[in-house]
Amino acid sequence: MCKCDSNKDIYLPLPATLGKVQPMTNLESFFSCQLDSGKELGHMPGQFVEVSIPGIGEAPISVSSSPTRKGSFEMVIRKVGNVSQSLHGLNAGDKIFIRGPFGTSFPVDDAMKGKDIIFVCGGIGIVPVRSAIQYVLDNRDDYGRVIILFGAKTPSDRLFVEELEKWREDKNVTLLETVDHRDESWSGPEGVITTLLPLVKIDKDNTVVVICGPPIMYKFVIINLLEAKLKEDQIYLSLERNMKCGVGKCGHCQINNIYVCQDGPVFKFSDIKDIEEAL
Amino acid sequence: MTVKKLEKAAFDKWVSACITSQRVFGVQAKEDRFVFAPLANAADLRLDYDVTILPPKKYFQPPRETLLKFDRNEGFESVFDNQPFVLFGVHPYDMVAISQTDKLFSQEHCDTHYVNRREKATIVACDVQNASKDVFAGCMGTATVNDGFDILITKIDNDYLVDIRSEKGQALAETIKDAEDADDISLKLRKLVWADNAELLQKHKLNVRPDVLPKLLGRSYEHPVWKEKSERCYSCGSCNLVCPTCYCFDVRDDVEWNLQKGERYRVWDGCLLAEFAVVAGKHNFRANRADRYRHRYYRKGKYVPEKIGEVACVGCGRCITACTANIANPVEVYNKLVDEGK
Amino acid sequence: MSKLKVAFFDFACCEGCQLQVYNLEEEIIDLLELVEPVEWREAMSDQSDDYDVAIIEGSITRIEDEQRLKAIREKAQVLIALGACATTGGVNNLKNNFDMQDVKECVYGKDANMPHLDTYPTKAVNEVVKVDYMIPGCPINIKEFSYIVRCLALGKEPKIPDYAVCVECKMKENVCRFEYGEICLGPITRAGCDAKCPSSGMWCFGCRGFVDNPNVNAAKDVMAEYGKTHDDLRGKMLLFGSKQEFE
Repeated sequence: MCKCDSNKDIYLPLPATLGKVQPMTNLESFFSCQLDSGKELGHMPGQFVEVSIPGIGEAPISVSSSPTRKGSFEMVIRKVGNVSQSLHGLNAGDKIFIRGPFGTSFPVDDAMKGKDIIFVCGGIGIVPVRSAIQYVLDNRDDYGRVIILFGAKTPSDRLFVEELEKWREDKNVTLLETVDHRDESWSGPEGVITTLLPLVKIDKDNTVVVICGPPIMYKFVIINLLEAKLKEDQIYLSLERNMKCGVGKCGHCQINNIYVCQDGPVFKFSDIKDIEEAL
Repeated sequence: MTVKKLEKAAFDKWVSACITSQRVFGVQAKEDRFVFAPLANAADLRLDYDVTILPPKKYFQPPRETLLKFDRNEGFESVFDNQPFVLFGVHPYDMVAISQTDKLFSQEHCDTHYVNRREKATIVACDVQNASKDVFAGCMGTATVNDGFDILITKIDNDYLVDIRSEKGQALAETIKDAEDADDISLKLRKLVWADNAELLQKHKLNVRPDVLPKLLGRSYEHPVWKEKSERCYSCGSCNLVCPTCYCFDVRDDVEWNLQKGERYRVWDGCLLAEFAVVAGKHNFRANRADRYRHRYYRKGKYVPEKIGEVACVGCGRCITACTANIANPVEVYNKLVDEGK
Repeated sequence: MSKLKVAFFDFACCEGCQLQVYNLEEEIIDLLELVEPVEWREAMSDQSDDYDVAIIEGSITRIEDEQRLKAIREKAQVLIALGACATTGGVNNLKNNFDMQDVKECVYGKDANMPHLDTYPTKAVNEVVKVDYMIPGCPINIKEFSYIVRCLALGKEPKIPDYAVCVECKMKENVCRFEYGEICLGPITRAGCDAKCPSSGMWCFGCRGFVDNPNVNAAKDVMAEYGKTHDDLRGKMLLFGSKQEFE
């Protein structure tokens, strides 16, 4: 039926060791991780891994670092389920288990090359996108303008605070931030992320937009982009579903006919705009 | 390869010989219905059955299947089931379903848990002798089958034609290798059985060619039938569970009392169940009954066909029988789409 | 790791769910490696006010019960409702279908109004105090109980199914009770019992309560097709389900 090695197991997670573990907000923590095999993860920006804790379970987690940064890979994990809860109890040096990387990636080596790039990130949506941002910044000459729009619920929900400051100071990057609800620690703009879009001068023929955020965000951002005369194939987005097996078998992540774990999580908007369950 | 002809006594003797030399599962009676179960005596084998409650997929993808063992400190280890077995009495529609699942599990990322079991299996298919009350395989082109199995049995009057098609089949038929070959008349009669079955296994009549279903569904996404029917849907998943082409699963961990060792296993899941598309933050991406109800029809009639080029409904009729709310009849739904599309 | 101190407390019930834990037999030794029972009426004579986990069996039918339960809640870090009586009210709910005075007179006759026999309509535990985990069933499924204990010991949120008994019943390849003209509550009842009753030739009594979103209207609709009435269905649902919506 199949020529593959009968002992190969697509469900077998491989050991890895946590490097740095650091809380970022009340809900999110940062983890760096290295495969015990000594090999690089071999991912591209936008892909995800399945993280296992034996006895607790397995969960799909986006890789948040760029493959250009060698040695280890990074994840930011929100405490929402058993696996993430359990991960938050772990420390540097502890073992976790990894399958992957899985899925599609942002087109950093093709469609994005030579173009102005606008990254639109809402909340935890910045986690997978950071991988692409790092990749682009590490190959800065290959791209046009780099614009990062980031919206968090409140100032204390902002992720990668130090890195945001670095990007803010980087002359080769434009960073615009907003929060939905301001507090005394925040002097920047208040409002949803779409309020940042009019502040950006979009070169409609020479731009690629990467979007990741909560489901509600996509619709509004995309409407704005299309009004700015961007074409549907210039917009890429990353979708979340229950990617349980990661290999297109278990059925949980299916959006109509597509498997997010295989055909996604990164999609070209023109490819999914007519898929009813997608957005 | 060859087709042997056995009288009832010789046939039973052969089945008995198989049972003594191999692990054999065969169709047997369970109360008023039939099931595949471990076969202890040739006399228990009921090749005259109409349909089994569950399809034979349970032998390739068991309802609960250990994938990995783990030690919380040491990590994971694969668990494969490599014991050979023989499956006696697979009807043609189920054989077609097995062949489809073979493709789905082996294409792209090969699922060796499934494939290893499948490759260890010898499948003895048999032509249908009695139509079940809801079968419509005749409409789906699956009333007869020409490949996938190792042996095909057809009952002609009081004799059994044993059509040996593979090396595994030959090995299983070793004890009957000297039996007489089927004569031309028997082979002609077998063709009549096939022609008859294509007609008889149509207890529900589909008013459209199955290969048109993807196109039909392509224009029916907003059809009122999904909401109408699903108002009576319990979301009990019975239609999924008894379906020979449903293979979705959930993966879970459990530990032993020592909290140290344990296993990761998969269990059958179903897209009709309320929690099927829930993500870790508890958001349900398919929260409406109607959306889940529709998804099943689209998987069978459009999504899987786009992947493997075949409609993933083989007309066994099990979903029709299993649905207590009586809303799972694919023929009724597809016919409705045809009628109202005119 | 220090063991969790566990206390069992029983209210209005038959104490059969406690007995199920006892029925773990040799596995009790494994259980005792994880937890230290400090009060467990069916298994030991000790009593204690010092516990981490309170396991509540039975439903609440008297004002004194309510006070006792609230005191337990205050002491326990984790409170588990054990069995149908505790999780939904169980069969004790039956009396809620009648006038309380009639109920008392029916049971106690001339003593009906004695103060120590006073009773009020049955409440499930979560109608009185916050419940952290529910283990449904009449009796509980001891495998599920064991799984939940192990989850808690691991710091993992246990998963009680939110799908119908039909799922487990189909996996067992049972002949559907509807094929025998019986009303089975399997399609609306929460799984987790391994479809024990249908696997033993009985319809599902609904002892685990309904799934979160039972399609009761469908159930009513479907009755006619099996030659049954709404009252037939209602009769079945009353036994364990009277606390849950019907009309």
